[in-house]
Amino acid sequence: MPIIRADSLVKEFRRPKRVPGRFGAVRTLLTRQYTVTRAVDGVGFDIDAGELVGYLGPNGAGKSTTIKMLTGILVPTSGAVEVSGVVPWRDRERNARHIGVVFGQRSGLWWDLPLIDSLHLAATLYDVRPADLRAHLARFTDLLGLDEFLTTPVRQLSLGQRMRGDLAAAMLHRPDVLYLDEPTIGLDVVARDRIRAFVADLNRAAGTTVVLTTHDLDDVEALCRRIILIDHGRVLYDGDVATLKARHAPHRELVVHLAEPGPVEIADAEPVAATDGRVTLRFDPARVSSADLIGRVLARHRVTDLSIVEPDLERVVAGIYADRTA
Amino acid sequence: MVERIRRTVRVWAALARAGLRTELQYRANFAFGILGGLALQGAGLAVIGTILARFQQIGGWSLPELMLLYGMRLTSHGLWTLPCSNLMVIDTAVREAEFDRYLTRPVAPFVQLVTRRLPVTTISDLLGGLAILGVALATTHLHWTLPRVLLLGLALVGGALVELSGQTAIAGLAFRMLSTGSLKFTLDDVFNTFGNYPTKIFGPAARWALTVVLPLAFASYVPATVLLGRTGELWIPVWLAWAAPAVGVALFVAAYRFWRSQLNRYASSGH
Repeated sequence: MPIIRADSLVKEFRRPKRVPGRFGAVRTLLTRQYTVTRAVDGVGFDIDAGELVGYLGPNGAGKSTTIKMLTGILVPTSGAVEVSGVVPWRDRERNARHIGVVFGQRSGLWWDLPLIDSLHLAATLYDVRPADLRAHLARFTDLLGLDEFLTTPVRQLSLGQRMRGDLAAAMLHRPDVLYLDEPTIGLDVVARDRIRAFVADLNRAAGTTVVLTTHDLDDVEALCRRIILIDHGRVLYDGDVATLKARHAPHRELVVHLAEPGPVEIADAEPVAATDGRVTLRFDPARVSSADLIGRVLARHRVTDLSIVEPDLERVVAGIYADRTA
Repeated sequence: MVERIRRTVRVWAALARAGLRTELQYRANFAFGILGGLALQGAGLAVIGTILARFQQIGGWSLPELMLLYGMRLTSHGLWTLPCSNLMVIDTAVREAEFDRYLTRPVAPFVQLVTRRLPVTTISDLLGGLAILGVALATTHLHWTLPRVLLLGLALVGGALVELSGQTAIAGLAFRMLSTGSLKFTLDDVFNTFGNYPTKIFGPAARWALTVVLPLAFASYVPATVLLGRTGELWIPVWLAWAAPAVGVALFVAAYRFWRSQLNRYASSGH
């Protein structure tokens, strides 16, 4: 039984058509013509409880708009959405009780007050019992390293500190579903790792369902078993990361360092680059296993070092988008 | 239902305290705000004083009677601006997508919007209003009965609700229009200009407009005529004059419903 169901979701934004020329501004004000932008165009998926799903797409693909429909912020133009049996936009307050939302670009904290005040306020808004609040606060403070800036006003926090504060505030009421919209945008490596570890822990230990939108494919490789790839408001791919790579990037590369530079010719492998005795061979693991290939290379050449390079997700995804726009 | 109301009050109080702490972070602004507010009230009263110095009466109303009206109006104004004046910044909250987070928390978005800051400076309206009202009550020598005392108290709240309804309805338009500045400042001006005088002096057309179209007569003027025994000059039945506070409640319920219905038009920002 899926916890999140989205079916043929469509969201259109309508705004008055700009009228150019003389008195354009006034005529724009009076016009009855509208420009319609279809930001989400028939998106559908089911997400089971306990999944950790990466929702990916280039800028303007419709990621945030989808998340805003799932969280109840926006009303879909058509299609259906249901989270834990609640239609989010129709019953926002009930929906809010079992979801947590973090927008990387916008803080949900009280800007001028110390972080600890925001956490206490969040507890009040969600009716978290004092004993639970103490327990969760202690745990989050520990996991996210909040203690050094709990009493600092939010506006003086660094981006990484603020994000950690936002995550804690969003999770105090132990929601079943956590939506993270670009949670690691602009963060340094340390802060990013901390947030990834926290999210992974929530998902593993508490079974929290997580939907993560991001540009950072490292986030996805580190965290997600399943990804949903969208562009121009439509789903391009929905499945696990390994299958995506196998389908769109079937080749792997064997990099060999030769003791004596020279040409390398091996059956079932195509040399794609060679510099100073460092040769890159591309091969299809479905046709030849890496062990066989390495055996063949070693039989013919003296090799000082070798390594196998997996295709990285970034290149796979870039390839898919390039194919689609071509 | 009772539990729901108690929870709303508790959450509102917690958010309002946070709004107050936010406000107190900027102490200079706080101090200047209170001083400025008091100066503005003084200026408003001075205008009426100047007119009276020349005409002795306005529409047959003596100075103490006018002060009662002015004091009631200003107190009502303070009663809505102190808790709810952040309604006026809805344009910013909508355009900058602050509403995203109001819609994902289990608290009425209206409560979250009005408590984003607590503009304590508007307390000068309330204090000024109560002071003028106090002087007026001391100098008008009215015959006070329990129903009249109740009417005064309820009329102050009802008057606040009349004005709040107008601002709430305009705030509802912000989800579609994104910019409602001119509307809400016009409404504020209309209340501050016409609300302080007996409505009957404006002539029949304006009188009906201020009773039916924009019913600000019910905010303070109508209940003041009851308290002052001047219902004879009214163009509406006396029972309706007594029911003026209920008009405020009805208007606010309607305006709040409209506001809530407009939430579904919210388009956030970005894609």
